[in-house]
Amino acid sequence: MDDHSPRDDADAQALAPTPAPRVYETPPKERPITDAEAARAANLAANEHIKIASGYLRGGLADGLLKHATGAISEDDGQLVKFHGMYMQDDRDLRPERTKKKLDKAYSFMIRLRIAGGVISPKQWLALDDIAVTYAGSALRATTRQTFQYHGVIKSNLKRTMSAIDAALLDTIAACGDVNRNVMAATNPAQVGAHKAAHTLAKDISDSLLPKTSAWREIWLDGERVVGGEEEAEIEPVYGRTYLPRKFKVVVAVPPSNEVDIFAHDLGFIAILDKKNQVTGWNVTVGGGMGMTHGEPETFPRTADVMGFVKPEDAIKVAEAVMTVQRDWGNRKNRKNARLKYTIERYGLAAFRAEVEARIGKKLGEPKPFTFTNNGDRFGWTEGDDGRHHLTLYVPSGRIKDYEDGPQFLTGLRKIAQVHEGDFRLTANQNVIIANVPAEKRAAIEALVDQYGITKGAGALRRNSIACVALPTCGLALAESERYLPSLMTELEESLAHHGLAEEEITIRSTGCPNGCARPFIAEIGLVGRGPERYHLYLGAAFDGSRLGKLYKEDVAASDIRDTLEPLFADFAKGRKPGEHFGDYLIRAGHVARTVNGPDFHDRTGALKPAGHA
Amino acid sequence: MARQNLLPRTAPFGDGERASLDAVLGSATPVQRAWLAGFLAGLDAAGGQPAAAPSAPPKAAEPLTIVYASESGNSEALAGNVAKLARKQGFKPKVVDFSDLDVATLPKAGKLIAIAATWGEGEPPARAVRAYGELMGEVAPRIDGVDFAVLALGDTSYVEFCAIGKALDARLEALGGKRAAERADLDLDFEKPAADWIKNTLKALAPAETPDNVVAVDFARAAPGEDDEAEPSREPLVVEVVEHVNLNSSRSDKETIHLALAFEDGAPAYEPGDSLEIFPENDPQLVDEILNAAGLSGDESLRKALLAERDITTLSAATIERFVKATGHADAQKLIDSGEAKAWIEGRHLIDLLATFPATLTAEHLNTITRPLPPRAYSIASSRKEVGDEVHLAIVAVRYETHGRARSGVASVHVADRIRDGAKLRVRLKPNRHFRLPQDPATDIIMVGPGTGVAPFRAFVQERRAIEAPGRSWLFFGDRHFLHDFLYQLEWQEALEDKSLTKIDVAFSRDQPEKIYVQNRITHNAQELVSWLEGGAYFYVCGDAKNMAKDVRAAVVRAYEIAKSLSPADAEAQVAALERSHRYQQDVY
Repeated sequence: MDDHSPRDDADAQALAPTPAPRVYETPPKERPITDAEAARAANLAANEHIKIASGYLRGGLADGLLKHATGAISEDDGQLVKFHGMYMQDDRDLRPERTKKKLDKAYSFMIRLRIAGGVISPKQWLALDDIAVTYAGSALRATTRQTFQYHGVIKSNLKRTMSAIDAALLDTIAACGDVNRNVMAATNPAQVGAHKAAHTLAKDISDSLLPKTSAWREIWLDGERVVGGEEEAEIEPVYGRTYLPRKFKVVVAVPPSNEVDIFAHDLGFIAILDKKNQVTGWNVTVGGGMGMTHGEPETFPRTADVMGFVKPEDAIKVAEAVMTVQRDWGNRKNRKNARLKYTIERYGLAAFRAEVEARIGKKLGEPKPFTFTNNGDRFGWTEGDDGRHHLTLYVPSGRIKDYEDGPQFLTGLRKIAQVHEGDFRLTANQNVIIANVPAEKRAAIEALVDQYGITKGAGALRRNSIACVALPTCGLALAESERYLPSLMTELEESLAHHGLAEEEITIRSTGCPNGCARPFIAEIGLVGRGPERYHLYLGAAFDGSRLGKLYKEDVAASDIRDTLEPLFADFAKGRKPGEHFGDYLIRAGHVARTVNGPDFHDRTGALKPAGHA
Repeated sequence: MARQNLLPRTAPFGDGERASLDAVLGSATPVQRAWLAGFLAGLDAAGGQPAAAPSAPPKAAEPLTIVYASESGNSEALAGNVAKLARKQGFKPKVVDFSDLDVATLPKAGKLIAIAATWGEGEPPARAVRAYGELMGEVAPRIDGVDFAVLALGDTSYVEFCAIGKALDARLEALGGKRAAERADLDLDFEKPAADWIKNTLKALAPAETPDNVVAVDFARAAPGEDDEAEPSREPLVVEVVEHVNLNSSRSDKETIHLALAFEDGAPAYEPGDSLEIFPENDPQLVDEILNAAGLSGDESLRKALLAERDITTLSAATIERFVKATGHADAQKLIDSGEAKAWIEGRHLIDLLATFPATLTAEHLNTITRPLPPRAYSIASSRKEVGDEVHLAIVAVRYETHGRARSGVASVHVADRIRDGAKLRVRLKPNRHFRLPQDPATDIIMVGPGTGVAPFRAFVQERRAIEAPGRSWLFFGDRHFLHDFLYQLEWQEALEDKSLTKIDVAFSRDQPEKIYVQNRITHNAQELVSWLEGGAYFYVCGDAKNMAKDVRAAVVRAYEIAKSLSPADAEAQVAALERSHRYQQDVY
């Protein structure tokens, strides 16, 4: 159990070289992007020009939908459509045959919803299920951001799908793009009061930081274009016409669970609870983020800093201030340096905090102590302090579908939604909670879960796993992820069992590229795609998600991963202290260097000593 | 035109005589030669005495009206043959397409030959629908005094074999006409019997005073170029398959083969709109099943014949009758007697007959029971101006199951399964002059071609690109799934890019809960479509005749109703007018 009086890293001081005093740049005095300046600034990143020219996210989308010979939209619109919650993708499995068959790439769209805090009603579940069956290959995917996404929706069905989503009183606005993305919140239903506060905060932030342009309604629902009032201040009072330099992710955590991975996000709120489990305020974290680029050491993942403490009534104001400082200070010339984490590295936390305080008109309090124990989910039934029951299901890689000769997640959850009176919650670990079940309904739900073979748990490793989608749909993937991780885990489970570690909780996450959707850099075993069947292997992260891992071995063939880890498991089994986690052990035993934070992520990489000799 | 050495050296004349005869015959018209032939024949018959009549100039030719209702072009070709022969025999033939037929003129026809194809489930060819309807309806005039004969074409694999020809035959009689010759009902192997029927019928229609000893000599063969139009060779050509690719994605449940065929000695002079016939081979597995069922396994020469020459799938009432005649099978006889044979045939093939009524047959029996394996025509999907000496085809593999047996289209599955790059195929050009681009390249065209119906429009677009036609073009395409069945998708994208295609609308029936077809897209675009048509655009439909072509026509009528606020009848008149001016053309099957 790591106890975080914030950044009390005595160990880090001991093991890492003493850093030289940092010299920070002076923050800009004025907001650099006025319209006129933006238009003139030829050295802005391409996306900035697209945003400027888009007329508040409209671009050529409406016309692109009418180009019937292609399933694609233009490249620029492909950037814009992200702000509407969509990614244009193509089935990469089919690429080799298409040209020969005189067919264009098999384009389709990933559509991601905005579900702040991941809570939906059974009625909404049924509507989303219906959309999945009708337009999206009979699969719903619970994402790592507590929402659903659909894959494989073709262009000609986009408007139908969007209007069906709208009819379910949901939307996809800002689910992707350079805006505040879906806001996550702790799900722990056992802490009724704290969960409610966390969920409410997530929802309020989501609403107040939502883009206000009517483009979404106009394009997808054939809404009327609002004419007049084209003043920027009225259309996008918070964002302006260029929105943010890069994506912006907000989470709300309730200790002791760090299920939302607070340190992996741009902005976080950690509930500070009193003795009655009531929220007295929030610690504010800033500057976390996962993405990096292979071979570019100036890019790195970073865990968030705890910046201060804020009273509940000021939380929204702080959220808006953090976002607008990033809006104004963030790097718009280089997208690979644009996330808040780089802004804070460039100008320093102190200057950033001062600017936030200036914008909210008051000082932040000093951070309060808090303790996280893990970043996983609680599987199976739990009972809340209000006597309601909650069942957390294990959904491999978040895929809610019917497996041939396997679990019938889609059908089973549909049947449950038809009788369930509470709600559903999606977790940041891609699992599903059937929440707020009255005691007398518990047996009926349980029966349906069993009838459709839905899993209520899994082995220790699988319980703590996340994989991103990667191939075949993701355009960024360099290697398999979701289709590969299950078989790797089978290998590793054998190996762990061999060393008596079958029940050991170890976090393992894989992504097909270094952009970090499954947050692999804060997993104890992190796999990041390098090329077909090749991965970078990261080790030494903290089990509770508070410390980054370190590149242990470069470019490992998939077939060698087990053999690489096996001797480390052996050493761990022999040399660990009671209760010591795998990541912590590897650092203490000197196998891999501790990463203090982003800037030293690329230092002292590789295995520090031969494994298998403990 | 004087021709050298018309008479062979073996002719029983001296060199000088041969030269003199060559000089006369070489410059003679067909009528002169026919007259001379008749004269010489008559001379012998009269015992050496020159008859007086033949030496006189031929009397005024007898008018003969030849009407045809053609879908695939066979009836039309036969009508041409009739005219050619009739002219030689002193008739003055006039060939009229049913689509142009004014039924009010029929009473004055005098002599009338009708050649009619039957289409689909006993329907007239699409172009003939209007005139056929008028003829069968109350507006039809009496034709007392008209001598007529009907030649019916059909396909015994359809239940309503030659239904249109039969109906016409009865109707012409009912209207007061006098049947001059018995009708012939011909199957796909019609060429020989049709030639015989034509010869005999012309004889029957000939005026009494015409000497009946005219020898019909096909001078056209000896003197090519004399006739109105050079006919393509009827002999199959061997081509090499240079591209064979399934256009549907590996996730599709359809299989459409794009074939590029190379002609070694230059492609025949085909035009966009023409078809190419493929001479297929039967499925070897089916051949073996047939041989096995007939107790003839091991007969290699029969196996070879069944593979390439006989139609071993089609089952018709006639097939069963011939089977009973050959085998005396009592149960099969009962099936005929019970009157249920027609229903039983539905969805069944020859193999079902042999399996249901086991009998030991001889090779001769099988030969009698089956008909020759007909070629299968496919609309050409290329323009010579773009592909040179190649012909491209798009062929959808037909596979289905009936009565517990997997069935497959003979030609399509032969191409899909047993033909690969480098393979050879026997083919024959089949022109279709009723499916042609507008003469004026500035004219707009609207093309409706779902599935492989899009094939000729690929040819159209290639052609119009090559000649840089300034006219606009609009394609309606449809199939099941956008991602997996969008035939030639990349090519349409290029064509839109280079403006050889102006506009495309697509209908993929299974991409959304409700089925969307090309006809829905047509009515959806009513205003624009009608504005194109009113600007002189030609409208083309290719593909399924059973439903699609009718639905598309109804959609165009509906488009007029919507766009012009017309009554259904007035809108119908607009489309009928398009048809009569040949601006609404169909190539359906």
